[in-house]
Amino acid sequence: MNLPILAADGAANPVSFQALPAITAFVVFGVVLFVLAKFVWPTIAKGLDDRNHKIVSEIKAAEDARAAAKAAQAEFEKSLASAREEAANMIKQARADAQRVADELKARNDQELAEKVARANADIEAARKSAVAELQAQSAALATEIAGKILRRQVNDQDNQRLVQESLKELATSRR
Amino acid sequence: MTLLLASGADPLGHVLDKSSAFSGVFGTDIPLSVVSLVIGGVIALAGLFFAAGRIRTGPESQGHRRYVTEGRLAQLVEVLVDGLYTQMLEPVMGARLAKTWLPFLLSTFFFVLTLNLMGMVPLMDMQEILHAFGGHAPEGEQAGADAKHALIWIGGTATASLSVNIGLAAWAFLAIQWQSIRELGVGGWLEHLAGGKELVQNKGLWFVVPIIFLVEVLGLVIKPAALAIRLFANMVGGHTLMATLMLFGAMAATLGVAAVSGISLVAGVAAVAISFMELFVAFLQAFVFMFLTAVFISQMAHHDEHHDEEHGHGEHHGSESAAAHSPGAVHGH
Repeated sequence: MNLPILAADGAANPVSFQALPAITAFVVFGVVLFVLAKFVWPTIAKGLDDRNHKIVSEIKAAEDARAAAKAAQAEFEKSLASAREEAANMIKQARADAQRVADELKARNDQELAEKVARANADIEAARKSAVAELQAQSAALATEIAGKILRRQVNDQDNQRLVQESLKELATSRR
Repeated sequence: MTLLLASGADPLGHVLDKSSAFSGVFGTDIPLSVVSLVIGGVIALAGLFFAAGRIRTGPESQGHRRYVTEGRLAQLVEVLVDGLYTQMLEPVMGARLAKTWLPFLLSTFFFVLTLNLMGMVPLMDMQEILHAFGGHAPEGEQAGADAKHALIWIGGTATASLSVNIGLAAWAFLAIQWQSIRELGVGGWLEHLAGGKELVQNKGLWFVVPIIFLVEVLGLVIKPAALAIRLFANMVGGHTLMATLMLFGAMAATLGVAAVSGISLVAGVAAVAISFMELFVAFLQAFVFMFLTAVFISQMAHHDEHHDEEHGHGEHHGSESAAAHSPGAVHGH
């Protein structure tokens, strides 16, 4: 098969210069350049710039938010530690107060009890003394009476027994 | 494969620029590259307008979604714009210069990329296949045109035309000179072309100045010319390779059906693989065109500083030598 390499059918010499394609290329590219430079590239550049600014501002906002969250967390942890310490102190104080109150109550109760015991003992002693004194008085009176009766008549054993019984009755009557 | 053969078994015939069917309509020769340039410009504008609408910040009613770019094309454009600026242009040119020239450089990249990618769509072959299957040939066929060939309205790779690339490189040339004059002033620019202040003022070396001037002026042209030729060569080379691979089956036509089938299968798989590479090359060459333009522009922005440094070391380099250090110098400053 015969393949004509350079003398292609209807084709121009590959390295020959033709004015029309060159001028057309120059003019068409000029028009394309003008229109693109006027309407397209500014639009694309603005779109890319807007997005860059948006991304940068979003990243900055996120970093600020993270820093704020970190600061808030640190503040919270600090507050939490302070609250824990305060609570521990309060519990310690409350325990001390409770212990102090309990000790005071115990001391007061002991004192009151001791006072009551002492008062009761004093009452008992007074009652005993009173009873003894009254018994002595009664005994003296009874003895006096018995002696009076003895003096009025000779008493035998039966009389004596009877007198004692009577005296005891009188004593019981008088005590009532 | 026979269709390709019937449609012109010449790999370069599918790659190089040729007349479009519009020539008959307008009565003058309208190459396919011109049609591709116009359509490519429209596609680039439409695609980038669409992408810009998706990338822009939406109304507040959308909430946080208004900052999100939706749609694959818009996301691709966004990634390319952001990556080219932050990873390539800003490190090389510095933030100030990169921002100044970003619209021009991005327009260059996306326009060249669109033209390169359009070349990946086999529009020309589709029209020839339709014609070969007996579809209605377009009316108004040129007198004297071969009836076996379809009229091609659209197709081909515009950047596979050196003429087209020269037109594009002219913009790069203007951009580089504009930056030079803006940085140095007209006098400074001419002085730079003459080899720098010290050389111009050194009367003992007056005879060197015209030589340097000539070399520098040639350098002004060679830089954008290199851009044009590099893009042209890469596009032509890749597409020629693909077309050649696809023609292997047709070349083996005399060997029998089995041979044609086997060779066509292997060639087809290879062509698909090369297509992926061409897809990469389409992006790469668009990037290289833009990136080298950026490098040439940035050289002029820091030219004085380079000269000072170089003179301080007691040696003088041409602009190409200074260019080689430019990115580092930009970083350094």
